[in-house]
Amino acid sequence: MPKFYHDDEAWADIAPLPQDDGGLHPLAAISYSDEYSEAMGYLRAVMAKNEYSDRVLGLTEHIISMNPAHYTVWLYRANTISEIGRPLQDEIAWLNPTALKHMKNYQIWHHRHTIIDALGSADGEAEFISSMLEKDSKNYHVWSYRQWLVKRFDLFDKPEELEWTHSMIESDVRNNSAWNHRYYIVVGGREGKLSVELAKQEIGYTQAAIRKAPQNQSPWNYILGILRAAELPKSTLKDFTCEFADVQRPEEVYSSHALDILADIYAEEENSKENAAKALELLATKYDPIRANYWNYRKGLLDQPNIAA
Amino acid sequence: MAPASFETSRLNHARHVKYWRRNLKTLLPQYYTSNDSNRMLLALFTVSALDILGDLDAALSAEERQDHIDWVYSCQVPEGGFRPWPGSDFGKLRNQENKKWDPAHIPGTFFALLTLVVLRDDLQKVKRREILEWLVKMQRPEGSFGETLGSDGFVHGGHDSRFGYMATAIRWILRGNLEGSCEGVPDIDVDQFVTCVRAAECYDGGISEAPFSEAHGGFTCCAIAALAFLDRLPLSPSQKPDRVIRGVSDVPKTLHWLVSRQTLTLDEDDGLDTYNDETDSSETCHDAHTFVKMGAYQSVQGNSNSKGRPHIHYELEWVGMNGRCNKVADTCYAYWSCVPLQLLGRLDIVDRQPIRKWLLDKTQHMVGGFGKVTGDPPDLYHSFLGLLVIAMFGEPGLEGVDPALCITNKAKKHLESLSWRRRLTGMDDAQDEGITLAAERMHIQA
Repeated sequence: MPKFYHDDEAWADIAPLPQDDGGLHPLAAISYSDEYSEAMGYLRAVMAKNEYSDRVLGLTEHIISMNPAHYTVWLYRANTISEIGRPLQDEIAWLNPTALKHMKNYQIWHHRHTIIDALGSADGEAEFISSMLEKDSKNYHVWSYRQWLVKRFDLFDKPEELEWTHSMIESDVRNNSAWNHRYYIVVGGREGKLSVELAKQEIGYTQAAIRKAPQNQSPWNYILGILRAAELPKSTLKDFTCEFADVQRPEEVYSSHALDILADIYAEEENSKENAAKALELLATKYDPIRANYWNYRKGLLDQPNIAA
Repeated sequence: MAPASFETSRLNHARHVKYWRRNLKTLLPQYYTSNDSNRMLLALFTVSALDILGDLDAALSAEERQDHIDWVYSCQVPEGGFRPWPGSDFGKLRNQENKKWDPAHIPGTFFALLTLVVLRDDLQKVKRREILEWLVKMQRPEGSFGETLGSDGFVHGGHDSRFGYMATAIRWILRGNLEGSCEGVPDIDVDQFVTCVRAAECYDGGISEAPFSEAHGGFTCCAIAALAFLDRLPLSPSQKPDRVIRGVSDVPKTLHWLVSRQTLTLDEDDGLDTYNDETDSSETCHDAHTFVKMGAYQSVQGNSNSKGRPHIHYELEWVGMNGRCNKVADTCYAYWSCVPLQLLGRLDIVDRQPIRKWLLDKTQHMVGGFGKVTGDPPDLYHSFLGLLVIAMFGEPGLEGVDPALCITNKAKKHLESLSWRRRLTGMDDAQDEGITLAAERMHIQA
């Protein structure tokens, strides 16, 4: 049911302010519904008067349902909430289903930050995040929000956070967002530094995941990130990559990513340039031909001294 | 690649013209209401697409062109800067107390300036000084830019590189790449911005929304384009090193991430998000192409998937691009991934032909425009970015483009030729300026 205001007693005192679209030939003009045009007219009228009231809350909700990207309607709503003293829990209760309807909207998350920050409690947020991820397990905003929560409420060292991340990786080992979140907890929570001991634990964890799905790039990227944070050389992985790719047995390759790393390891070794070139050739011609240009470019770099790709 | 099928890949120029003319001349459908606050972006896409198609002059009478220019100026707020739509304008009721609900807006200003440039306006009515002063206030201490400025000086909006991209583009449009104070207006903190971009570099070489967020094509492109506008991309080996802070910090790693965006997972049916599978097979992992021998890591499921041997059903003819690791291809990511490659001078490390073919054969729509994924109806956003990529690849019949600015090279030249900008950026030497001034005087006398 569309909602109108002109015949609503509660709005009888307001003269709507119609949109001035700037002359005869506006650009990107939209065929607005009567409902939207009218609601926007009432919104401009109450905004112009800086009215903060219960009816304003309803009106902002109505506008948000049609145009959630309206950036100042969110700020206006936040002001209204604080002016009329609406309980923040009520706002979150309203926000939950609204967020599910507009999963890719930026403003909604900004608003949630503001409310949760003021509320000072993350109670119920984990459940909310789970319901969002059930609909879209890689939603960028949801994962960013989770990171914000971890930082705001200092959850880096809570074992539950790592366990939850592990369960997300378990349910989809190709979910790069989950791998990135793991990196955030393990490395980000330690300001980018990592002990060798913790690095070994993470390397073991990641190797097990790679053995499940060797052609999945997410854990390969992750393991290289861990090595770098722990200041370990790529060659640490040499034996492991050889499980999946051996340039001497070009028919027995299980992962292009293993070949890629092996090419780097060989390039850094003395007298292994030929093997590096062989790995890159295999990638270009057989195991990853959609990136042939890139592998050939990398091969060209082998001849240049002191440049490691 | 079979030559016969190559010939079928064709940009349907006439249909694209028709699609964009319809967007210019008629109301956009009601479902664009959720983009009402992004109208200036849609405006730029519409006029710039027609400019790329070489149809803008034919599409507009002089009067219509002037009316469009006037519409853009009607979105300039009194304090300087633009709102991205008329929707927040209070008209005569606007005052000191309510102007906070109608603020200048970074994307609104970016898209308004570009729309004016595409329409070949001279920007003389733009409150340039006020915009540059506002830009400084839009930067936060850690270097990022936001969307709008609150009445208390608080910078609203995300901290990611989108706003940094647009803010640095506005700066480039209005004062070129001069660093430091310009005609008494202080500069943004360029070093701090570069630091902020570097902090958002991810372990895999992409750039994310914020430190330790996931690498993402859109943020990577925005960050690298911003560095280009600021002249802060890494120097090439032949250039003399300076002590200026630059980004990205590890070009080889970023190139690796960018080329990894090429994918054969062209739609959801290609089944990349495989839950609960234990082993890659040629069917569960589409970037695996021709291989994956199952020997060592075989599971019951993997075995039944591959029936014991790998089979080849991958098409290398069409290559898509995604925005994040293990995601499906999407038209707009051809833009977000190829532009940074071009800005880093390495577009040659992707094969443009199969990407072009994917866009033309799979996401180009028969009514004109491009959709998001195979078979989707067109929308302005994907239609514009798809066209921009095809133009950037040098498609015959399209104007050359500056993809980071989203405009044709001709429009960019027009901007660079404006006399106020030439004076400001030192493009005029004293003699040229003397001639210009003399000519102007003569004109007045005549």
